[in-house]
Amino acid sequence: MNKINHDQLLSLEHPFIKIPVEKFRSSLKTEQKHIEKEIAHLTNTVSEISKKSQHGIMDANQVQTALEAIVSRLSTLKRRLTETRAEESLYSQRTKVRLQHLQEFTAIPTLDSDEFGRWSRVRLNRILIDYMLREGFRETASYLAKSENMEDLVDIELFVQSAKIEQALNKYSCSECLQWCNENKSSLKKIKSTLEFSLREQEFIELARERRSQDAIAYAKKHLTPWQETHMKELSQVMALLAFPPDTKCQPYKRLYDKSRWRNIISQFRSNNFALQFFTPEPLLNVTLQAGLSALKTPMCYLPEHRNINCPVCDPHTLGLLATDLPLSHHFNSSIVCRISGQIMNEDNLPMALPNGYVYSYNALAQMASLNGGKITCPRTGAVFDIAQVKKVFIS
Amino acid sequence: MEAFVKDYDKVIKKQRMLETNDPLDRLINIVNEAKDKIRADPSSVSASLTALGKTIKTVSSGISEEHKELQSALSKYSKAIDKRFTGDMIAAINPHAFDNKENILRNTIAMHFIRQGNFEIGDTFAKEAGLKLPESMRHKFMEMFEIVEALKVNSLEPALEWSTRHRRELEKRSSILEFKLHRQRYLQLLEASRKEDAIAYAKQNFGYFGTRHTQEIMRLMGCLLFFDRIKSSPYADLIAPNANADIQHMFTRDFCSLIGLSCESPLYISVTVGTQAMPTIIKMSSIMKAKKTEWSQQSELPVEINLTDDTKFHSIFACPVSKEQATDENPPMMMVCGHVICKESLVKLSRSVPNGRLKCPYCPTESMSSQAKNVYF
Ligand SMILES: [Zn+2]
Ligand SMILES: [Zn+2]
Repeated sequence: MNKINHDQLLSLEHPFIKIPVEKFRSSLKTEQKHIEKEIAHLTNTVSEISKKSQHGIMDANQVQTALEAIVSRLSTLKRRLTETRAEESLYSQRTKVRLQHLQEFTAIPTLDSDEFGRWSRVRLNRILIDYMLREGFRETASYLAKSENMEDLVDIELFVQSAKIEQALNKYSCSECLQWCNENKSSLKKIKSTLEFSLREQEFIELARERRSQDAIAYAKKHLTPWQETHMKELSQVMALLAFPPDTKCQPYKRLYDKSRWRNIISQFRSNNFALQFFTPEPLLNVTLQAGLSALKTPMCYLPEHRNINCPVCDPHTLGLLATDLPLSHHFNSSIVCRISGQIMNEDNLPMALPNGYVYSYNALAQMASLNGGKITCPRTGAVFDIAQVKKVFIS
Repeated sequence: MEAFVKDYDKVIKKQRMLETNDPLDRLINIVNEAKDKIRADPSSVSASLTALGKTIKTVSSGISEEHKELQSALSKYSKAIDKRFTGDMIAAINPHAFDNKENILRNTIAMHFIRQGNFEIGDTFAKEAGLKLPESMRHKFMEMFEIVEALKVNSLEPALEWSTRHRRELEKRSSILEFKLHRQRYLQLLEASRKEDAIAYAKQNFGYFGTRHTQEIMRLMGCLLFFDRIKSSPYADLIAPNANADIQHMFTRDFCSLIGLSCESPLYISVTVGTQAMPTIIKMSSIMKAKKTEWSQQSELPVEINLTDDTKFHSIFACPVSKEQATDENPPMMMVCGHVICKESLVKLSRSVPNGRLKCPYCPTESMSSQAKNVYF
């Protein structure tokens, strides 16, 4: 029986719960802001109407019309908020579903139970969908989420906007991303993001590339000077571009003109976007896979004569290749695995040595002997012995 | 966790209240009321407008109160989340471990779905990621899942047909699948009270297994004596409740073994082991980060990660004397008494005794170090 340490495993689920709660919070804030603004407007309008009617500028009919206008304005806002409100209920509901999913987990007693297997498979699908979304495989991600009935356990919508922005950046357009920066100004400030400066810089570089010096200078005045306090060095460097043609060999100008700068901007946007939405900076798949492969990796995995087809690291073309640069596992305790049955040898299934020194489990040898009239064939050497010749081995 | 879930219900309750009593509707209502009043009695304009101004004030302060309450409940909850789920994965992340290996990872993912019998997802993924999956693997797994589906509804024929076709390869692997399937079919006939058919089936099929499974066949025939009450007879164990699941498992294992693959998806194993290992890795990596080193750059993990028995694939021998892992240069040696220690420890122990007779550290037996023998796990 392998007990589960629920608290330890739950501690890994921070993004899973935090993401929908924060989305819920931010939609709620948006709604609240709109309503507060509306109330202020309403209070003003009513007091104005009141004044006008007192001074005889408005008669009763005009007041009614004015009030009607207020009602239609409120109704318009109500319609406009439909989407925000739908988001609120979606993320609130989603938080609830996810909490229940974790609660189900706390009821599972052991790692050997079927329930744990089922729960782990859902978790693996969650991890795979997260990976697919980050890598831009949205079709498979949605298909899998739908067919496994786990749409509330993954964040497909949250990648729609970011995919559009990345697409634009791939086509060398900054405006979508700049707009996003503007929408998230205060949060980006909190994480000390310099994404907006990089985007402004890039737009300037593109003007310099086209040798539109006048436009470039005007652009710099408007969009780069606000950064002079913190980015003076970069600012003067990028301004100097105007003196160099795009095919210059001179550094750092050659590097500034390099189109690969766009890739850096995309990764900067990604990491900012993940941080703002409480996603981990790297896909959970990579994180857990690295830990798992390292925990499984032994020196034997890379020796063909010790290969075990059930061991993930032993496959030299797939996971074994992924694990090449990862640390080996480390063990202070012995655990001996039977090369015939794959079972662990212990008090219930003793290790037995053949006269040639090769060790197998008692159960496997006994079964082999019973099928072959008491004879045993050593699978690694082909030597044949009698079951009576085997000897108990003690591993302390 | 239960209390944590309940706390969230309180947040939801507050949200529902705001939802059912929409602030905008409340505002619309009071404006409409004022308007209706003025229409009914145009002389009340000024009084109605003053009253409206006051109502707006009270209603809107109520609204903002409710909003504030929900906001603060939610932000409290968000903070509680930070306290409850503390696993900070950032220290454990090595963003470069899989650099330039994206396609290996993606192929593994596609194969994972194929291996689960999830062919459509596997194909969609392969297409989206621009991968070319080996057709042959796909066909093999389709065959496997067809047979498994049949087994699920107790239809053994496709599995029997397959295992007879692969008899020689299966026997080479000491597989007893074919016999188990015949045995199961025989028991099915008995359970369906088809005694004559069962006997005929045994005559026709058990012969081949006569020498290898003598004992088992004797029992299977013996239970005919208790044909009408096997469950209360000494043969009750023959009718195991999860026989079907066991056979399915044995079949998938042998099928995968024949095509040289593990029985469980390697991706599933690795990720599941990885999640289990994460808490330890996080703790270790934050300690290492403080010392300005990266766990993923080491040649060996500095901590032991416990694996469950079903994820131990290689024998690990750690010498009980030196605590070191055995290697080719320092192999495990078995003394006369059967206790095993590493060669280096054996040499050290024998150096300290003058006559070359050393006492086993784990039992009273004395022996010469030259009597110790290499063992191979
Ligand atoms: Zn291995
Ligand atoms: Zn001993």
